[in-house]
Amino acid sequence: MVPFHLLFPVAVLAGFVGAMSGMGGGIVLIPALTLLGIDIKHAIAISILSVIATSSGSASAYVRDHITNLKVGMFLEMFTIVGALVGARITLAVSRGPLYIAFGVVLLSSWAALLLAGKGWHTGEQDAVTRWLELEGSYPDQALGAVIEYKGRRAYFGAPMMFGAGIIAGLLGIGAGALKVLIHDLVMGLPPKVSTTTSNLIIGVTALAGTSVYLFAGLINPGLAAPVILGVVAGAFAGTRLLVRLSNQSVRYFFLFVLLILGIEMIVRGL
Amino acid sequence: MEFAKPSADMQVSEAAAKEMKMDVLVGTILLGGVLLSMILVVIGLCWKWTHTGSVSENYQLKGMNLIQLVLQEIHLAVHGALRPRLFITSGIVVLMLTPYLRVIASVGYFSAILKNWKYTLFTAIVLIVLTYSLFLR
Repeated sequence: MVPFHLLFPVAVLAGFVGAMSGMGGGIVLIPALTLLGIDIKHAIAISILSVIATSSGSASAYVRDHITNLKVGMFLEMFTIVGALVGARITLAVSRGPLYIAFGVVLLSSWAALLLAGKGWHTGEQDAVTRWLELEGSYPDQALGAVIEYKGRRAYFGAPMMFGAGIIAGLLGIGAGALKVLIHDLVMGLPPKVSTTTSNLIIGVTALAGTSVYLFAGLINPGLAAPVILGVVAGAFAGTRLLVRLSNQSVRYFFLFVLLILGIEMIVRGL
Repeated sequence: MEFAKPSADMQVSEAAAKEMKMDVLVGTILLGGVLLSMILVVIGLCWKWTHTGSVSENYQLKGMNLIQLVLQEIHLAVHGALRPRLFITSGIVVLMLTPYLRVIASVGYFSAILKNWKYTLFTAIVLIVLTYSLFLR
């Protein structure tokens, strides 16, 4: 049994990083919990539960600040939740080694795609499908001191890719915010802050679908989950307040750094 | 007397205002759910600490879906079986129900206030899949 004084600060850090990057907290939490001696499947189950807290805590502020695009979130959730149910079932069936390696590969793939893909979002014409889906909007950017208008694109590619992100979310208990942000940003052309904040909204519902599978499998230990949830929410609130004051580029650099370090660490442990 | 029909711009701004209210509703549900969940967990941990000098708990929730867990918690509460574990588990239940409630509210808002049938359908699909997952066996 890992004591409270170790679990709580680790969870605060995970919540902070999760909110800052839009990744959902699990990406730091799972490596940290396994380092504390918790079995990776239990770590995944606790993580995906805590991801609901991170997501909801962060999203509550982003949505009320009108940065999150609810329609983008609602549309893409249809795909991520089905993926999460599939992914969680796979985790229950496979052994632990491949889970470590899969975790690391997902992180490094996200890092490479983001690094090579150029800088940020693009304005441009909407396709007919995305226009029909009403995937456009505007948000107040505190760092720029202006209201930024944008139009989403290529929802027909984004939707099936979000199903894949949902599988990874359910499989690894990370919320898959890293992939969701990438899909929003690079495929659907949304501004980074909208990508990050809308990812946060989607993560909560996606995580709920995965958590249901782990709950029934008996992998959720409330004694471990309680301090983790408290810490993650505290960290998420701090991260959320900082995010809205930073530039898009700062968020991107921070995101890249975290992905690289954790990706290498998990692959090494899985080998 | 005839009233002028609202202009397209006025209709757009009215729709935008309603969507902003939806942002506030969704944000408030999420914040309220997380806060209530945290309060329940903190009560459970504090209670445990005052009685045993430790906040460590160790038990599994085995073989039940969220609906069965909710029914079990209600049963324990009604029968006065109040203990730290009940509060901690209830906090987890509230946390899990928070995004679910957000989706229910979204279905209602898209249908009743915004009259946006496309997004009523999308959110209803999300609600159906989530409901299936909560009854999973």
